[in-house]
Amino acid sequence: MTGSRSRTATSRGIVLPCRASCPELTRGLVKTFGKFTAVAGLDLRVKRGEIYGLLGPNGAGKTTTIKMLCGLSRVTGGEAFVTGLKVPDRHIASNLGYMPQETALYVGLTVHQNIRFFGEVYGLSKKEVDGRERELLEFINLSGWRDELVANLSGGMKHRVSLACAMVHSPPLLLLDEPTVGVDPELRVSFWDYFNDIKGQGRTIVITTHYMDEANCCDRIGFMRDGKLIAEGLPEELQRLAGVDNLEDAFLTLSERVKKQ
Amino acid sequence: MKRLRFLKVTRRVFLDLRNDKRSLAMISIAPIFAMFVFGLAFSGQVKNVGFVVVNQDAGTQVIPGGPTVKLSDKVVANLDKKTLDVREGSSASAAEAQIKDGKAYASVIFPPDFTARVLAENQGASNGTVELQVMMDQSNINVANAITRAINDVLLKTMDQAGKKLPVTVSVDAVYGKNAKFMDFFVPGIMAFVVYLITTLLTLITFVGERTSGTLDRMLSTPLSETDIVTSPCIQRNWHGTGAPAASDRHPGVPYLSGRQRSTGFHRDRPAGCGLPGYGHPSLEHRQERGAGYSGASLRNTAGIFWPVEAIPSWLRPFSYIVPPTYAVDASRSVMLKGWGLSKIWIDIVALLALAVFFLTMATLSLRRRKD
Repeated sequence: MTGSRSRTATSRGIVLPCRASCPELTRGLVKTFGKFTAVAGLDLRVKRGEIYGLLGPNGAGKTTTIKMLCGLSRVTGGEAFVTGLKVPDRHIASNLGYMPQETALYVGLTVHQNIRFFGEVYGLSKKEVDGRERELLEFINLSGWRDELVANLSGGMKHRVSLACAMVHSPPLLLLDEPTVGVDPELRVSFWDYFNDIKGQGRTIVITTHYMDEANCCDRIGFMRDGKLIAEGLPEELQRLAGVDNLEDAFLTLSERVKKQ
Repeated sequence: MKRLRFLKVTRRVFLDLRNDKRSLAMISIAPIFAMFVFGLAFSGQVKNVGFVVVNQDAGTQVIPGGPTVKLSDKVVANLDKKTLDVREGSSASAAEAQIKDGKAYASVIFPPDFTARVLAENQGASNGTVELQVMMDQSNINVANAITRAINDVLLKTMDQAGKKLPVTVSVDAVYGKNAKFMDFFVPGIMAFVVYLITTLLTLITFVGERTSGTLDRMLSTPLSETDIVTSPCIQRNWHGTGAPAASDRHPGVPYLSGRQRSTGFHRDRPAGCGLPGYGHPSLEHRQERGAGYSGASLRNTAGIFWPVEAIPSWLRPFSYIVPPTYAVDASRSVMLKGWGLSKIWIDIVALLALAVFFLTMATLSLRRRKD
């Protein structure tokens, strides 16, 4: 099956396999909290320079997966890899940028001070931080807000600063946990423009969302439910597979189909 | 009716409390616990106080050629050994040195002619009195009073047993804290405690702020280690607590108090931070403050602020020695009342540093366990 894009129906769902060149992100990943299994044997392969969307309802295990990849949550079983390094590994931190659901910024610091802080934490020199800060502020259209306290920014601006902080050290992999939650539709569109620009720079983005309409913007998507990957593939492939014309229906149909298997 | 709208807010607060069973339990149990500790600590008697006896009494022969009588030995034998930890001293200067070094609280010096003069006065020799010199560290009022009481009691008891009058006056020479009052004892203690409490609260607020705003997770995803994350705010807050508490409202950690922890669903967060209770709950910031208040009350009662550690029941004293304020209070008093420098309070500083290392290690481990 290597190199093909044929459909396979397995116990873990309907999967349109990624090419063999796709590096593994997780292999049989498991996370349990007591008797509760949050992630149940998740296998993910994500190609370099693509936007991979993890879609699913609340409680599907998306955030838990991201947290395990970031080293924020211990892996119960299986393996997780970041840029080829097995989690946990202290060196991984420099290779990934993490944007949590919350804006996660120091509201008492200015935009500049926040970006500078995270840059320094990642070990960038003053000169490197200054250069990256200029680029990023331009990228997120906040050059004029450099010296403004984060507390005084609007919600959308805070989200943009949060993205800048996640990217300050130019990581090859970005893990974005529901970055567009609570963001107005106009800003969501801009965010996806940002994500496509980042992808254009050759970076990989793994993004979690429960907005099905956003998934069309991803290169590939994985449907998650109850900690399992129920289907994976290109958005249009999944729609075709489900015999429907939108991802929301595709999710429901495939979810039902996997349940019956 | 509009004027009574505030009652809606009050009701909301009570509903919030009712739904938060752990806070409710803390509110009910913590004051009882604090009062219990207060009662235990307050009811304790001063015990095991270092007391040096310099006995230069040569004694006297009541009957020529008979045995030598030494009243001072009887006095020493009758000393309350529970209150006083009696040691022998070679000279007055050696005894004074022990008091100056904080190894003893007081010393009594029996003059060479003590027995002879007491007996002579009993026979109406000069209608005078025999002066018994006592050197004492009076900076600790409770301890000083307990020692004075013990000396007076033992003299009365010994003379009563011997069937003699008491022609003895006790002359107290204060080595430290001459004419000290309770406030002199209390103020340095409460100052040290307030600094400790402010530092603790600010550190607590910082950690709660980091968690509720999501910056803690963000930092944990960076190359920073758990030790870096735990240590730096503690050091910074220690500076705040000691030097600039008023500036705290401008610190990034403080505004996060208005935020509430997001619902984490099945995410079971474990306690993290400085080992204080309350993490991992939607209203954790409120519970942290309450928790800090209650632990503060318990610490205050056992740290020797209102009464000395020597007056706390022996079985409760180990608790006093594992809480940092005990050492902070002691160091503060030593500097302010005794004029001691670093060369003498270094033990307190080492103890505080050791406890800081211990609690920071616990906090780091707690932060690591949070990943489970």
